[in-house]
Amino acid sequence: MYRVILYSQWKWSRLIVLLGTITGFALPIISLQGAAGADRNPLAAQELLRAVQSWGTLYPVLATTLGLLAAIATWAPDHRGRHIHALSLPLPRWRYVLLRFAAGVTVLVGPIVAVLLGAVLATALATIPPGLQGYPLALALRFALALLVAYAVFFAVSAGTTRTAGIILGVIAAVIVVQIVAGVANVELDLWGKLALVILNWPGPLAVFTGRWMLVDV
Amino acid sequence: MTNAIETRELRYRPGKGFELAGLNLHVPAGSVYGFLGPNGSGKTTTIRLALGLLRPDAGHIVVLGETMPEHAPGVLGRIGYVPEQPHLDPTLTVRELLRFQAAFYRTWDAPRAEQLLRQFQLDEDRLFGRLSKGQKAKLMILLALAQRGELLVLDEPTDGLDPVVRRDILAALLEYVSQRGATVFISSHLVHELERICDWVAVLDDGRLVTEAPMETLKNGIKRLRVARAPAEAGAPPFTLLARESFASNGAVETWVVRGWDPGMTSYFEAVGAALEDVIDLDLEDSFVELLRTFRSSSR
Repeated sequence: MYRVILYSQWKWSRLIVLLGTITGFALPIISLQGAAGADRNPLAAQELLRAVQSWGTLYPVLATTLGLLAAIATWAPDHRGRHIHALSLPLPRWRYVLLRFAAGVTVLVGPIVAVLLGAVLATALATIPPGLQGYPLALALRFALALLVAYAVFFAVSAGTTRTAGIILGVIAAVIVVQIVAGVANVELDLWGKLALVILNWPGPLAVFTGRWMLVDV
Repeated sequence: MTNAIETRELRYRPGKGFELAGLNLHVPAGSVYGFLGPNGSGKTTTIRLALGLLRPDAGHIVVLGETMPEHAPGVLGRIGYVPEQPHLDPTLTVRELLRFQAAFYRTWDAPRAEQLLRQFQLDEDRLFGRLSKGQKAKLMILLALAQRGELLVLDEPTDGLDPVVRRDILAALLEYVSQRGATVFISSHLVHELERICDWVAVLDDGRLVTEAPMETLKNGIKRLRVARAPAEAGAPPFTLLARESFASNGAVETWVVRGWDPGMTSYFEAVGAALEDVIDLDLEDSFVELLRTFRSSSR
């Protein structure tokens, strides 16, 4: 069962995975391009760190984009067929969902490995100024975690019905309305700030996306 | 006789307007059971409830001896299902869909699938989304038959297809039934089609069961009678009078549509001073129309 689900998953998302793999491989190499010619002085080290940090913002963007597209690709054919085929298969629904999730995770291994290989290659080829170190494995692990979190979140949202999507949008709209009303009424209420604090700060579910993504650091 | 599908007081209300109200169905094992009804009468909803795709508001459903939807995964492995709309992944080829389906059914009959592939002349490298309507219908029937289920549930499988494809599909279906003795539950609004293949029929209208009977009983039990000098009041006839219409302009000859007719009942007409001029057999379509008309007028 897993094999045929994986095959269909691959067929639907191969273009996304291929583009993600190429980007994932290229990103670490491009981010360290300036390091090859860097002088061995503190100024060059600072320059390099700034460049690496700036390129580093693209890793969570790549992870989010890939997670979103892979999740949409996972459920799109089922949504088109109004889930009739999936529901009429002789297996419990939770198992079908698990198989689909696992197949999605499997095809996303490609971009993760690409980031790892790209990062290892980039740090091996670059002349890193003294006092700085390459962290290819840590970066790849963090990318893997972010990708899995993004995929899991969007997988859950995409699996839902239009009604579920409506409920989620309704909750977001309600938060916005409450925030606006509170602002008009001069009530000190910062719902967004509090929500962001809970979600984006450790141990929030999306904490992995925030902070610095450094391939080279002190 | 055991039932392949049985529903008791099945109730389901998906929203405002439509409601399945206390549906009692008995599909005998080994029968070819036709499920007739106009569009929107609740045939597809009933099928989805029976297969565990929907959860009923009340009532009991037993399919192949197991309660539904509790035992749906196990029971679905013993059922070949063809839904009303093509539901398969349009990005997979015919061959890929065969492989996909085979992985989920322990009883998958690969040689039979290959034979049907040739018989239906389906291009195995063609994407499902690129198949014609007839080819899609054939493929879905192929998948249902190759699963070697004890029960085939077919929801309007030949709706909108040309006569040649329709004939191919029905022939394959009948061959399967004769070989395996499976039960077939087939819904349709194409009455003539069901008349040829079914031995049991149920009629559904607006979520309510109009009748459920063996085909022969339904076909033979309803007659159209030409009655001369018909009395104004029918009194208490030995049959069920479904409808009466004036045939001549002066009302001297009437057409009566009756259920439960027997030739021995002619004496009734002599007793009320009328004369029975002719007894006309109705085909299933006429019976269906008369049943619906009576049912609707009585439920108003």
